[in-house]
Amino acid sequence: MKALKTLIEECRAGEADYQSLIDRVPYARFLGIQVVAQGDELTFVLPKHDNVVGNPTLPALHGGAVAGFMEQAAIIFILLQMGEPRVPKTIDFTIDYLRAGLFRDTYAECSVTRLGRRIANVHISAWQKNRQEPITIARAHFLLSDDAG
Amino acid sequence: MTTSSQSFTRLDVCNRFLESVRHSVVLGLEVLSAEEHAVRVRVPWREDLVGNPETGVMHGGAIFAMMDHAGGMAVTCRTFPTFEITPTIDFRVDHLRGPAKGAAVVCEATCYRLTNHVAFVRITTWEEGTEDEPIATGLATYTRLKIETAGKVVGQ
Repeated sequence: MKALKTLIEECRAGEADYQSLIDRVPYARFLGIQVVAQGDELTFVLPKHDNVVGNPTLPALHGGAVAGFMEQAAIIFILLQMGEPRVPKTIDFTIDYLRAGLFRDTYAECSVTRLGRRIANVHISAWQKNRQEPITIARAHFLLSDDAG
Repeated sequence: MTTSSQSFTRLDVCNRFLESVRHSVVLGLEVLSAEEHAVRVRVPWREDLVGNPETGVMHGGAIFAMMDHAGGMAVTCRTFPTFEITPTIDFRVDHLRGPAKGAAVVCEATCYRLTNHVAFVRITTWEEGTEDEPIATGLATYTRLKIETAGKVVGQ
């Protein structure tokens, strides 16, 4: 199996499928995360699936699964858009739940609010019906590796 | 409200709560103990929960999901014997250090303030066996939905 760093470089050069990077992360496979690229824009997808259900009576998605999806989306975003050679470490992750996550596909997009030498501040927004009505918003800080180019 | 007349314990209710939540079951969560002011939950290390394929460290999302559900159980233990549905309003987790590859992770959640509509919870997380060296801390709020049939979730 090729090194993660090599795979990231190939993805960034357009020589490898973005999904192949996601598939290298066991937890991302566990959640079934997908990525859709439109030009430079990345949209992440958490397909509806029994394994991410929390409240069975509504039914609603598990808030923890949505949070994990958003954290993973931010990590993949950092790897693909910033050329970070290693999986960044999450320093902190803060999430606001705005609406119930219904049993349907969930989408997320990320933006880097501030990129320092060692720390990236990333905003993540997740929605189901349309992106103007997010179900959750989150911000997180990630520790970047020393040899980020 | 007394608990002595109840035929079920806080641990019973937390276990039924856990069983009703598919994602928590799939993660392999386990309730270790449930008291009025402290709930302990464990998540095993598993290959499919790894977040960094180069180090084998468990993903923060799996740890988050455990802490979030443990926080909900901490509220359950305060409202006991009544079971309420308590969606998370917000949650912050600080990752103090990464857990070792192969290590199960345990957290303790405490609802330190319960108001009519909002519950305030803090959570401390450590690698199983090293309770004095937390790997993560969490701070969360939950809202108390006033749904009369909420007890059905745990078979009440």
